[in-house]
Amino acid sequence: MNRDTQSIVLVLLGGALLRISVGETYLRYVKESLQPFLIASGVLLVALGVISLVRDNRRRSAVSSHSGGHDHAHGPKVAWLLLLPVLAIFLVAPPALGSYAAARADAEIAEPESLPAFPPLPLPAAGVDWAPLSLTNYYVRAVWDDGASLIGRPIRLVGFVTERPGGGFYLTRLRIACCAADSQPVKVVIRTDDVVPAVDTWLEVTGTYAPAVANTAEGYDEPVLTAVTMDVIPAPENPYEN
Amino acid sequence: MSQAPPATRPPVRRRGLTSTDVLTAILLLVLLGQSWLSGLFDSPAMQTWATIFVALCVQAMPFLVMGVTISAAITAFVPPSFFQRALPKRPAAAVPVAGLAGALLPGCECGSVPVAGGLIRQGVAPAAALAFLLSAPAINPIVLVATAVAFPDNPEVVLARFLASLLVALVMGWLWVRFGRGEWMRPPLRPSMEGINRWENFRISARHDFVHAGGFLVVGGITAATLNVAVPRSVLDGIASSPALSILALAALAVVLAICSEADAFVAASLSQFSLTSRLAFMVVGPTVDVKLVALQAGTFGRRFAVRFAPTTFVVAVGASVLVGWWLL
Repeated sequence: MNRDTQSIVLVLLGGALLRISVGETYLRYVKESLQPFLIASGVLLVALGVISLVRDNRRRSAVSSHSGGHDHAHGPKVAWLLLLPVLAIFLVAPPALGSYAAARADAEIAEPESLPAFPPLPLPAAGVDWAPLSLTNYYVRAVWDDGASLIGRPIRLVGFVTERPGGGFYLTRLRIACCAADSQPVKVVIRTDDVVPAVDTWLEVTGTYAPAVANTAEGYDEPVLTAVTMDVIPAPENPYEN
Repeated sequence: MSQAPPATRPPVRRRGLTSTDVLTAILLLVLLGQSWLSGLFDSPAMQTWATIFVALCVQAMPFLVMGVTISAAITAFVPPSFFQRALPKRPAAAVPVAGLAGALLPGCECGSVPVAGGLIRQGVAPAAALAFLLSAPAINPIVLVATAVAFPDNPEVVLARFLASLLVALVMGWLWVRFGRGEWMRPPLRPSMEGINRWENFRISARHDFVHAGGFLVVGGITAATLNVAVPRSVLDGIASSPALSILALAALAVVLAICSEADAFVAASLSQFSLTSRLAFMVVGPTVDVKLVALQAGTFGRRFAVRFAPTTFVVAVGASVLVGWWLL
């Protein structure tokens, strides 16, 4: 790979980083806190590539009178692989992880070594009576605090549908610590008499706490919500929980 | 043999196919075949693979850019005499100084490989640069704070991680002093820098280091994404019950997952069915040996180096975790 090609690849890669980080697409892959660093890296790579293209050509034309202007500097063959993330981002634009990834690991959240003092449920917005909770928050309150802080108020959960052997379905979110490679699922059993929506459909479910049940395969306790209303929603901008 | 007189030669130089032509051809073909290509990624398994692959590359990019910038700055602006004054002359004495200096580089393992290459280029003893390479991603303040946040009830984990990681860096540095051979390590390549100013030197070093390390980072991303999709996590959960097996299993998981060292504490904390010592092994092995890092090392120092260095580091890291875990946890 000659110097010009290396410079073009830098511009392409920097452009790909800017393409996903200016906007919301990067949230499919990494956490929100990385955004400024992604933008900075993208700008630096594009700048390095453009400056290199200009300066190399200036140097070449300065020496071309006696060396024939042919640039023999060859970079490593492995540098061609840098095109793969560029093509993946621009052409494939991989979606956020969904039910396939969620089915690949147990959704058990271990008992915290010291239970936090669960704050009271968040206050609803004007005109509604339900409290919005993350699936992780609902899981810990329901399983490790026996739902003590959940009784008496409707709860609103958001997640996507995954299959559950033995009736109902799971409302699922993936939690990430750093990037999508370390995702772990968190699942809540939804009890409903309605038709179960298709897998990977995003839902807002409002319902009431029900006691945890044993996982059909592994036996650990799973949180349960009895659905009152279920609304199909578009996928949220940040599909993951922290 | 009689030669044709120069005057009859065509005046135009023959121009071979350049890599810029190849790049243009690739981009054209990909554009034409776009619908076929994205059709390949219709199945959930391939989509999951692609998402994890892009996530690993995107996550590592800022750290790689930072590492390459620091490495190019060392090459362009720090004279070799600085390191001769800053480090003890004897490599064996320089190892602990360089190992502790690792605490100064905030970042994860993708950044420390090019920086270590830059140090060797400026004449730092390889043993000292390797100690720095191993300690920097594990004992810098950001990683230790992340570990403290991930283990709020076990502050001793932070101390154990610091000590075990530093121990690995020192032991590997001293092993290299005693047994390492120069011919195993390909001298870090450098483009020729005659007759150009420092900023030109900086620019050329940065591009050179980035395309080298970046290509190998993609190799690591492909490997980690494939293992991540092909090996179900539940296989590992079954091993958690045996203490010895669980240490090896989590050490192996750290190699396979290639999680950035600033995040691995949170993953370790979530693996709570495993003992603290095996989770310590996860956090000590991860920043020093993982598939992404081994690919980067092979790219920077050569394959002959990586096949010796990575397995030895794995053994030393597991040993250090067991020793420190037995003492502190």
